[in-house]
Amino acid sequence: MSMIEPVEDTHGFPFTEGATKFEIIPTDAADPSSATFVVHDEDHTLGNSLRFMVMKNPAVSFCGYSIPHPSEFKIHMRIQTDGSITAAQALNQGLDDLVALSEHVLATFEAKVAAKGDYETRDI
Amino acid sequence: MNIDHHSGLSFTEAGGPQIAIKEVTPTTVTFVLSNTDLSVANALRRVMIAEVPTIAIDLVDFELNTTVLADEFIAHRLGLIPIISHQAVHLNYRHECTCSPYCEECSVLFSLDVSCQSENAMSVYSTHLVSSSPAVQPYVDPANEKGVLIAKLRKGQQLHVKAIARKGTGKEHAKWAPCTGVAFEYDPHNKLRHTTYWHEEDARKEWPLSAKAVEEPAPRDDEPFDYKAKPERFYFTVESTGALPPTTIVTQALDVLMRKLAEVHRVLGGIAEAQGEPVVQPTYNL
Repeated sequence: MSMIEPVEDTHGFPFTEGATKFEIIPTDAADPSSATFVVHDEDHTLGNSLRFMVMKNPAVSFCGYSIPHPSEFKIHMRIQTDGSITAAQALNQGLDDLVALSEHVLATFEAKVAAKGDYETRDI
Repeated sequence: MNIDHHSGLSFTEAGGPQIAIKEVTPTTVTFVLSNTDLSVANALRRVMIAEVPTIAIDLVDFELNTTVLADEFIAHRLGLIPIISHQAVHLNYRHECTCSPYCEECSVLFSLDVSCQSENAMSVYSTHLVSSSPAVQPYVDPANEKGVLIAKLRKGQQLHVKAIARKGTGKEHAKWAPCTGVAFEYDPHNKLRHTTYWHEEDARKEWPLSAKAVEEPAPRDDEPFDYKAKPERFYFTVESTGALPPTTIVTQALDVLMRKLAEVHRVLGGIAEAQGEPVVQPTYNL
């Protein structure tokens, strides 16, 4: 007997292969300080933590995200800066900062796990 | 659009997020993440549940099933068996592989061939599964060395299946989730009032304090409500299904999070390049 793949093989998983990951919707073509970024295949995991990181930038006056529709797997992230940097730069820096933060948490966690004796261990 | 790379933040031992590990067991890790934002802690929690890849049985071919259990019922039970998933990082996702319907690069074959010859009922356990890859085996809890019960057979009943295990994540199906649960708690005294009480007469009497309450000072009775306060200590307990060690779940989750960010960063850089801006290489290597 041969193994036959079910016809509907995505299990409803909203994976959009080959689709664009990222789009920029400028709010005003002449004003780069404000834009809406559309990130596909992402949700609150990236949206909320990235919003926090972008808002940390003092040059950013507004950053918010939304999931426009629950059955579309994408987020809209709106950034407005004070004009000293562009919205894209603010997003870029937010991404860098969040990677740096994740790297720091990862390195800290690994160091703490390696420091056996600082924490309890149980076999069961 | 000009994208200059300049990282605005640097994290030092004192300034950045901190971690204190409380306890590590073969299936759990308990730690406190502090000095960071709720959104970051929640992102970690969400990634650990839904986006750390593991291996689980996904496609089951029944060659013979004369048990009293329906095919789909057994297929579902097989899917939920935790499989040791260290190899998941070396395996392709199904959509990454060009093969059809499956190959060694993206799947592991399990077979199960049992028949009951005895007068007594025979129990079929996950340890009866035979894997095509020695490194990919069903997880067996040391306290229960037979493994997970799949089915029970009476005399003369047979079960013969071929099962394809694939790499996947918890956001596609919960069988791929590496943790049975992530306990996540902050603000044990409810100083921030993120929990609103409903019809308690005296919340302090009616709600027992959390075990984490000793970690933070209790509020004084005359303490005014600090409406600007933000949560900054997050108590995590990650419990593994056995597919991955609990500390590996945390490290892989952070790795997955960084890869997601790097992907968005790369595409943003690509758009900048298409508009004639110089490419700025990220400083991190993934």
